[in-house]
Amino acid sequence: MSKDIKQHEAQELPAFIPATDIVEQEDGFHIYMDMPGVPKENLSIDLKEGEVTIEGLSNYAPPAGAQAHHAEFGAGRFARTFALSDAVDRDKIKAVLKDGVLNLFLPKAEAVKPRKISIETA
Amino acid sequence: MVIDFSSFYDLPREIARIMDEAARPVLISQRRIAYPLVNLAEDHDNYYVDLDMPGVDASQVELTLTERNLTVQGERPAQAGRFFRQERVAGSFQRIITLGAPVDKDKVAARYADGILHITLPKSEAVKPRKISISAQQ
Repeated sequence: MSKDIKQHEAQELPAFIPATDIVEQEDGFHIYMDMPGVPKENLSIDLKEGEVTIEGLSNYAPPAGAQAHHAEFGAGRFARTFALSDAVDRDKIKAVLKDGVLNLFLPKAEAVKPRKISIETA
Repeated sequence: MVIDFSSFYDLPREIARIMDEAARPVLISQRRIAYPLVNLAEDHDNYYVDLDMPGVDASQVELTLTERNLTVQGERPAQAGRFFRQERVAGSFQRIITLGAPVDKDKVAARYADGILHITLPKSEAVKPRKISISAQQ
């Protein structure tokens, strides 16, 4: 019951597309996502059928009992979905949430990593 | 009918695309909206300043308080590598917040949690509203 209410409340909040950087480095891909006000327990990362969906709920609340003079941001729901390349090793995906930024690390599968080929003399 | 496949063929759309890209600069110094986003609130005792700045090293953020102004300075680091998408702003930032009344400089508190910096500035005793009792003369 309380879960239903919570979900209902979550739907009421404005939904944002979080600002995202996707960077390729030697070991794999990093997805950096700005999610201010989202604690670890409010973040969900779902991997399904080659797509990764990230959802976060910001629990930012303005100071209680104070009169707001000026507001440029508020609480919100962040949601974004990305298609995953076959080059990503799905079992080794790692996620770190620090200071309101999610760092999703998608390592490259061994099969697509660059390698040296030794030449055999005949 | 002549179909033009020269590089100018899709020019209007190209221009629209470039303008669209330019409207969302990644460098903070080139953005039209001030960074970081700020919320201001006040109650009887304090001013509250909340700044939305995820991914910033809190120890590198400089808060300077002068008579009437609170200045926030810091830097958002850029990532290294080959970018497929770059939407997060990067670079150094500064924002000045003017306060309506003097604050007690020694009791200012700042807390950085989940990418949001919360600053509490207690109003100085001299400016707080107070009740004055009237002594009646008899």
